[in-house]
Amino acid sequence: MIDDLFSIEKYAYRTSPIHRLDARVKLLLTLAVIIAAVAVPYSPKVIDLAVVFFLFFAALWAVSQLPVQVYAQRLVLILPFGIFLIIFQIFVKNRYYDIFHPIVSLPFGIEIYAESVEFASILFAKFIVCISFIILLSSTTRMQDLVEASGRLGLPKEFTLPLGMMIRYLFVFAEMFLKIRSALETRCFDPLDRRLPYRYRLLQIGYTIGMIFVRSYEQGERTYTSMLCRGYGNDSGMHLRRRPLHLREAAFLACSILFIVTVTIVIYLAP
Amino acid sequence: MHIPDAFIPFPQAIVYWVIALIFIALALRWARRSMGEERVPLVAVLAAGIFAIQALNIPIPWGTSGHMVGAALAAIVLGSPYAGVFVLTLVLLVQGFIFGDGGITVMGANIINMGVVGGFVGFYGYQAVSRLIGNMYVAAFVAGWASLFISAVLCAVELAIAGTFPLDLGLLFMGGYHAIIGVIEGGITAIALYLITSARPDILERPQGVTG
Repeated sequence: MIDDLFSIEKYAYRTSPIHRLDARVKLLLTLAVIIAAVAVPYSPKVIDLAVVFFLFFAALWAVSQLPVQVYAQRLVLILPFGIFLIIFQIFVKNRYYDIFHPIVSLPFGIEIYAESVEFASILFAKFIVCISFIILLSSTTRMQDLVEASGRLGLPKEFTLPLGMMIRYLFVFAEMFLKIRSALETRCFDPLDRRLPYRYRLLQIGYTIGMIFVRSYEQGERTYTSMLCRGYGNDSGMHLRRRPLHLREAAFLACSILFIVTVTIVIYLAP
Repeated sequence: MHIPDAFIPFPQAIVYWVIALIFIALALRWARRSMGEERVPLVAVLAAGIFAIQALNIPIPWGTSGHMVGAALAAIVLGSPYAGVFVLTLVLLVQGFIFGDGGITVMGANIINMGVVGGFVGFYGYQAVSRLIGNMYVAAFVAGWASLFISAVLCAVELAIAGTFPLDLGLLFMGGYHAIIGVIEGGITAIALYLITSARPDILERPQGVTG
């Protein structure tokens, strides 16, 4: 995951109409889609809703001028745990259906049910919409802008300040992590190399983790001291300049939210 | 163990968020009172370090790799279960919003599983075993193992309540898997604690692991 940190931020620094949108607009839009997709109860209607939302996402992605490969690569990294849970669904009954019809019988009494496949499809539809909009948000918005947007939207300073600092130091520790990994590689150490004794590998990883912990603590101490020197105190917070939304940004947000809410209600109420 | 969006129905997700917010508020109060509000940046930088720690591949005996959670380690070293809650909340926010690892609506559940359970089981498990046998490294091992195992069991229970994964299979697969890789989390926690006590014993809030 940490390897992708730099590439995600690199794409977020590009420019396009979506990149230039205020981070608040993108954040609210993402939250609105995710809440709408999750809030609709598990039913086949979710698939229709997901198709509409995915087309909306595809349009926004096209406007962002980011390559489709970027989306595909990030999707592959996110999928595993969710896909495991989704694929597993087809073999088990769940409480959202009363009757289950087996469509495939496998050895050891394992059966695939039509209703379970439908439920797995519903979960997949919701899941893919949610992560697609998260990928869009983080690929078109700088991390610091995201934190500032959260602050402008009312996230307490007790959170924006540590979150902002954490994001800043993520890159410091990502660099450190890559250097440590290179240092281990130059010494021909691979934690997954089964030719090395398992205990030895575990010991080295443990020491490395302890060392990263100590270094991050020491970095924290240095940062805290240097902040104190610059007048940091109990009442300090992240400075956020007033930045009202442009009229077209506000209009885009209003139209998008209206579209999301309308589509959700119409599809949910449809017979 | 990061539950993605859609696997917990919205009303249940809100309940988990409310519970998580209570613990987050308590963690913020801990940070202000115990560490001094101005020292909050120290925990923020530490959270970035924990994020890097989670990126390190840890070998699993049957050939795959896993990742450390680190809530128990943070709670033990900083001497409070709320350290685990605070650090893991920051880490999960970044993982959810930037990397898509773990959902947004279900983030409350993820914070409870990894931050709250990881921090509380890690810290109090460490204290209890320390008192019982007097060896801080064995205590750290047990605490690290228990924090991961109980987090996984809770995750399986939440998915079962949501109706998206059967309880028996959830306990078998997630509980069983994490019972095994929990041994590695425990081992790494103990080794890392050994290194920290050797290199910077002053960092530990409670070097003997026992409170008065």
